[in-house]
Amino acid sequence: MTTHLYLSLIPEALIASGLTPEEFGLYYAIGNAKRARGQAVFFSVDRGALPPGAFDLSDVEARTSPHPDGHPKNSVYLSIYRVLEFIPREALTALHLTTDDGRTLTLLPRPYEPDGEQRARMYQEFCPVNPRVVSNLDPAAFTAFITDTSQPVHVPRIAFTELTLGTLRGDPDSADPDVEDLPYPNIGHLRDCLRELATGPAKPTKTVLRQMTQEVLFRTVRRAFYVGDSTGLTAFPMPDRDALEREHLAWWRSAQSAFGH
Amino acid sequence: MPAWFWLVPLASVLALGAAYFFFSQMMKESEGTETMARIAAHVRAGALAYLKQQYKVVGIVLASLTAIFCVLAYVLHMQNPWVPFAFLTGGLFSGLAGFIGMRTATFASARTANAARESLNHGLRVAFRSGAVMGLTVVGLGLLDIAVWFFVLTRFYSIDDAHHVVIVTTTMLTFGMGAAVQSLFARVGGGIFTKAADVGADLVGKIEAGIPEDDPRNPATIADNVGDNVGDVAGMGADLYESYVGVILASAALGAAAYFGAGAEVQLTAVVAPMVIGALGTLLSVVGVFFVRTREGASAQQLLASLGRGVNGSAVLIALLSLAVLSLMGVPNLWGVWTALVVGLLVGITIGRAAEHFTSQGYAPTQRIAGSSKTGPATVIISGLGEGMLSVAVPVAAVGIGTSLAYFAGSGWQFTTDTMNLGLYGIGMAAVGMLSTLGITLATDAYGPIADNAGGNAEMSGLPPEVRERTDALDALGNTTAATGKGFAIGSAALTGIALLASYIEEVKIGISHVLDRGNEFFFPDGSSVVPGSGDALQELGLMEMMARFEVVLVNPKVIVGMFTGAMLAFVFSGITMKAVGRAAGQMVDEVRRQFREIPGIMAGTSDPDYARCVEISTRAAQREMMVPSILAIAAPVLIGVLFGVPGVLGLLAGAAVTGFSLSMFMANAGGAWDNAKKYIEEGHHGGKGSAAHRAAVIGDTVGDPFKDTAGPGLNILVKLMSMEAIVVAGVTVAIHLV
Repeated sequence: MTTHLYLSLIPEALIASGLTPEEFGLYYAIGNAKRARGQAVFFSVDRGALPPGAFDLSDVEARTSPHPDGHPKNSVYLSIYRVLEFIPREALTALHLTTDDGRTLTLLPRPYEPDGEQRARMYQEFCPVNPRVVSNLDPAAFTAFITDTSQPVHVPRIAFTELTLGTLRGDPDSADPDVEDLPYPNIGHLRDCLRELATGPAKPTKTVLRQMTQEVLFRTVRRAFYVGDSTGLTAFPMPDRDALEREHLAWWRSAQSAFGH
Repeated sequence: MPAWFWLVPLASVLALGAAYFFFSQMMKESEGTETMARIAAHVRAGALAYLKQQYKVVGIVLASLTAIFCVLAYVLHMQNPWVPFAFLTGGLFSGLAGFIGMRTATFASARTANAARESLNHGLRVAFRSGAVMGLTVVGLGLLDIAVWFFVLTRFYSIDDAHHVVIVTTTMLTFGMGAAVQSLFARVGGGIFTKAADVGADLVGKIEAGIPEDDPRNPATIADNVGDNVGDVAGMGADLYESYVGVILASAALGAAAYFGAGAEVQLTAVVAPMVIGALGTLLSVVGVFFVRTREGASAQQLLASLGRGVNGSAVLIALLSLAVLSLMGVPNLWGVWTALVVGLLVGITIGRAAEHFTSQGYAPTQRIAGSSKTGPATVIISGLGEGMLSVAVPVAAVGIGTSLAYFAGSGWQFTTDTMNLGLYGIGMAAVGMLSTLGITLATDAYGPIADNAGGNAEMSGLPPEVRERTDALDALGNTTAATGKGFAIGSAALTGIALLASYIEEVKIGISHVLDRGNEFFFPDGSSVVPGSGDALQELGLMEMMARFEVVLVNPKVIVGMFTGAMLAFVFSGITMKAVGRAAGQMVDEVRRQFREIPGIMAGTSDPDYARCVEISTRAAQREMMVPSILAIAAPVLIGVLFGVPGVLGLLAGAAVTGFSLSMFMANAGGAWDNAKKYIEEGHHGGKGSAAHRAAVIGDTVGDPFKDTAGPGLNILVKLMSMEAIVVAGVTVAIHLV
């Protein structure tokens, strides 16, 4: 039986499992015997690409050997806290987004391609910390900024996504009625943050929420998820709406039914 | 027999023939893929299982009541000997109409989804014509029942005798009670079933497990789809069957009373006129069905316009042709009667439009409720209750103005004691006008659940996005027609209630004549009396004189107590049915949780849930929970009659009609508005699906479910059943009362 390594972002952990990504997502989202519920965001990790000695994987096969009844082992936690920083981007072979009823969508890595837009953006960070921020920087510049060791606040590696801002991207005071339809709490505060970003001193980012307290609505993701460090940025692009409806309907319907913030 | 009468059986046969034609056309359509057929079969089997159980219970109730009526008629001689049979046929025909409609709907949903794979127009045509099977079956069977009974009774009672015509019409009126009992069980039982399944599916499936709507992993999803059929098709059909036959028969009875002494021909013309108008409307409904078509890519408004073409086309034609027909029939007070009829049509349209305004997400009230969801569930509930209460104003005003206009038109624009019976006949004709095009109006109502189930089938079968877009468009249209249909049903119940109230006095006269026939003198509460052999004099007593003799005045405590009791019953009935939904939904929640816990692989999609168990739970809960409200509705007129006599019963009926109409309209509109406020948010407003506003709106929708689909529609039946029953047991009330 194949042993899979997964890097979970919620919470940050390296997990070995006998389950395929879809099975692991289902298990991770809804539990086994008891009813649990919660979305999961996790990477498949290429064991061969991990730096030697980063994690103790010596007995991982033994620990993930199937149960006596033949059922695969669901999860064996190998490491928690400060996991992402020890896994190079190249080792992350796929990103899996599991809805809270257990449907999984797999995104494959692509080199980052800038969209060339010079407008405000909103980022939801997942790991190693998980605030929501607005920024004037595009994903590559944001990654460079947040992983810059010369800055007082920095992280070694970061996983995040960009969330849609609608017309607020270009105008924090936008009167477009669609702004009120953005699924974020306290739009007024979001406008304040964007105004400060636009008019304040050279401050490239502004925190909107200090900590992610609830689930992210996958439908609000703009373009891709990202993993970056000081050496570069890897994108995991989301399929467009048409592809989601045609090729990933079950996941897309679940993603739209989820409750979150 | 007037020659025009034969239009009634002819229209009945044509309506039933057209219904069969549309049914057979629908059955020639394919059910689509194996998955689509399998899902449809699950729903069909569940619906059939429910109906079997319901008909067992109703069968017992109908048999028991028939036995009681036999004793009253043949042993105690308090009733007309035809009553037990008339009662039984009303119940049987109503049940048959509901059964046919529901079977058609459960055959049609997958076929509609499959037709939508080809085009929007094809999907609309299959769904609408399948709905038309229900509409045309209801009016076809209704007219058949009326025609057969009129024909049979006129073989036994000479229609040259004005007194006999009154007996014939009031006897026929009693078969409405059989229909009322059937509709009570269909509406209330169906309402409890559907909302138990819906709330259970939502609370566990959607809220707890995060499963999308109509997902086959949700154990209650099939029960939810079954509920749409048993509640909104069979229940609505039985409800409107009762209204339809009720208004025609009540108007016929009022016609017999209004033109008593005007000559046999005139009296008989007035009696037959409501039946003929019903027949004409039925024929025009069949024509209207063919007007409904649309083009590919049609918007919601265009789809609505397509249905509107059929409904409004039929309404315009009936307004025009009825004038010609009434004129050819030689109906007395032609322009007055015709005006009353048109007023009824306009009242129906006004109530439907008002319901649409207050419940559609295209209008401000529902959008305001959606907006209030941004501040949480409490404000959603508060604003929904507020908008629902406000929504009562226009329909009540429409009924008030319509009733007044119809009265004045019917009475020849006079307000005198002498013309009161004529005015009441005008009100009856207004109700007939409102329901004259029921064949096609009910088709739009039954279309709603068919389109809803088609959408569910398309989702569960994973049909391509363009097909689901079409079924979604059809479903959205169905939501609007369902809301307007409920408004129409409630509005028609109000006018039916008024017509029945007036007919009650005629039945009381018959009851008194039974007392006289037994050789007893009858004493009125005011001390006056009628003696054996003075039957004709009794029949000639005017309405106001009867009211005076029974002391039906507002300061009479018997009337006041009756009114308070009627008002109270509307609330108690609503409370009982809503609590019933809560209890039944609780059982469903437990069962769905159990299945998730005990059946591994449901969420992974590797195991099927036990759908049948959820259907069974809803079925049992519905049968059990509807007993108390049913007993309450059946017992109240008898008890009040025995305690307070005719004045008490009239107070009871008036209190129940006034309160029940307003409360029913409030509940239906508030529930519909909450539902569509949620849908408005799901369209992307205020954060869209999954937002905090959506969560609050889902709570509002869940609260509104028993409002709009159980208690609200159930009140229609309460009002009509109590009126019908009061009429049937009028003889008992006259003979036995304590005060």
